[in-house]
Amino acid sequence: MKQSYAIETKNLTKRFGAFTALDSLNLKIESGAIHGLLGPNGAGKTTAIKILCGLLKASSGEAYIFGKKVPDRSILPQIGYMPQETALYLELSVHYNLALYGELYGMPRSKIAEREKELLKFIALEKWRNEPVSSLSGGMKHRVSLACSMIHEPKLLFLDEPTVGVDPELRASFWEYFNELKQKGITIVLTTHYMDEAQHCDRIGLLRLGKLIAEGTPGEITRQTNTISLEEAFLALSRQEVEA
Amino acid sequence: MNIRRAFSVTKRIFRGLRNDRRTIAMMFIAPIIAMFVFGLAFSGDVKNVNVVVVNQDEGYQIPSSPDPISISNKIISNFDTSVLKVDYVDTESQGVKRVQEGGAYGLIIFPAHFSSNIYAKLQNPSLPLGTTIQVRLDKSNVNVASAVSKAVGDALLKAMSQAGLQAPVTVDASNAIYAKDAKFMDFFVPGIMAFVVFLLTTLLTLISFVGERTSGNLERLQATPLRASEIVIGYAIAFSIIGMLQTAVLLTIGVLVFNIMIVGNIFMAFLVIALLAIVSLSLGILLSSLAKREAQAIQFFPLIILPTFLLAGIFWPVEAIPSWLRPLSYAIPPSYAVDATRSVMLRGWGVGGIWVDLMALFGFAVAFLSLAVWSLQRGRG
Repeated sequence: MKQSYAIETKNLTKRFGAFTALDSLNLKIESGAIHGLLGPNGAGKTTAIKILCGLLKASSGEAYIFGKKVPDRSILPQIGYMPQETALYLELSVHYNLALYGELYGMPRSKIAEREKELLKFIALEKWRNEPVSSLSGGMKHRVSLACSMIHEPKLLFLDEPTVGVDPELRASFWEYFNELKQKGITIVLTTHYMDEAQHCDRIGLLRLGKLIAEGTPGEITRQTNTISLEEAFLALSRQEVEA
Repeated sequence: MNIRRAFSVTKRIFRGLRNDRRTIAMMFIAPIIAMFVFGLAFSGDVKNVNVVVVNQDEGYQIPSSPDPISISNKIISNFDTSVLKVDYVDTESQGVKRVQEGGAYGLIIFPAHFSSNIYAKLQNPSLPLGTTIQVRLDKSNVNVASAVSKAVGDALLKAMSQAGLQAPVTVDASNAIYAKDAKFMDFFVPGIMAFVVFLLTTLLTLISFVGERTSGNLERLQATPLRASEIVIGYAIAFSIIGMLQTAVLLTIGVLVFNIMIVGNIFMAFLVIALLAIVSLSLGILLSSLAKREAQAIQFFPLIILPTFLLAGIFWPVEAIPSWLRPLSYAIPPSYAVDATRSVMLRGWGVGGIWVDLMALFGFAVAFLSLAVWSLQRGRG
């Protein structure tokens, strides 16, 4: 297995009964890249991420993270996962939510405090540190959730819909931050169904009904399909699929 | 297995509780209310039952006495006035009418020649006929009816012994081996402790784990180095502490308010309750894997509450349960906890006396814990 790939999947397939959620996914994601998984609801984006995080078992096929076959517990400290759901303890303060994940990764208290400070600044919630998460707005919760997945400085981040319900201004600052992380060599895999947002990714994979229907840089994909936007590219590709 | 990560889970539960007054109230107020309501309702004897007396006895004239002696009046004067509220009518049909109108639960009839028949029988035991006190009851309420019968019987015995007519045989049950002066509350408190801890722990973990699943928290936890066993151990530490606190609250009230009897080593009782809490929380976690939403979890409540309420020996002994149902009693964990806490508190037994209960609870704990851990393994889907 080549170490340069942060993630590599081979014919990764997931079936739930008769339903195929993910159909022979072949994906190679380089270290230090921002990779977007795009597609409508039910395309298999979340399923792919959950298999990579070890939360679901693949029906067939294989997946490797940093050269190690998934699932492998030794990879866990290196990855961060932000689920689609809020996935926070609402009755706990922002601080205690962050501290919990810091503790679970075995971080010393001083390190947790340092990371918490950085992250609170980044998500602009310093004033909310001691408020229970239940008193936060939807977008704020989303930001806390993102911070929780990054407290331990993972080398690989899985972000399931990180920008849903986040206002445009903050979304822009998110992307700035993602690019900063990228500079540090951190790999980010994120899902989105905002096609315009996907322009910011180094590479994207378009998923539809569990199948990867296109892969490449945003530019490559629009060029291949003779379209001017990813949105149109996706629609064109969907049409081809249906005709085929 | 990393105990620090398990402790993080424990800490998380307690920190969450600090901001969750409703759950704290449920954990500590509900047991107290349960103890008072059930304890007082079940221990209450039947009182103030309206009965009517038809006394047709004319008494018996002893030659040496100026007035006729009425045994019926002696019996009536021995009625326990807290149980029976007596009114008089002249005839049986008037009495029946009173019952039919709802004015009384029954009538007590002393027939004509009551006293003289008794004297006749005493003087000549070979005479065929004695006499009878007829108690005609509205048996639609069995408890009330039996309380009336018992009150009449007791009064009869008292009157007889006052008259110097003691039976040649008596039963003396006062020299008890265990729990000499036990009242209903003494019997009940160990039971309600086990009941409350089992119920609240199971229900709270069930609800909180359904929450862990639906909120996405469980998945996020499973994507960290935290292991399923550490989650379960973290919960076990938290809920056994909570269970013991609940026990402490109930025991304090039991001692201060109800003056209950504690003969044995109370720490044994705490140990039993902690074991039961671990069994309960594992059961809660297991059940949570069968429920997709809180609404579904609520459907399990009767399944947990009813068998425990009816079969665990809390309100009535397991021996009072029909033999074909009894295996069910032995199949539910709280039965063993009820038996063990009762043996410790009332009989003063130690490990030697309750080891069977302890083994059973330990067995349940190991089995349920393993199943709970299994149900939380990541990548099972």
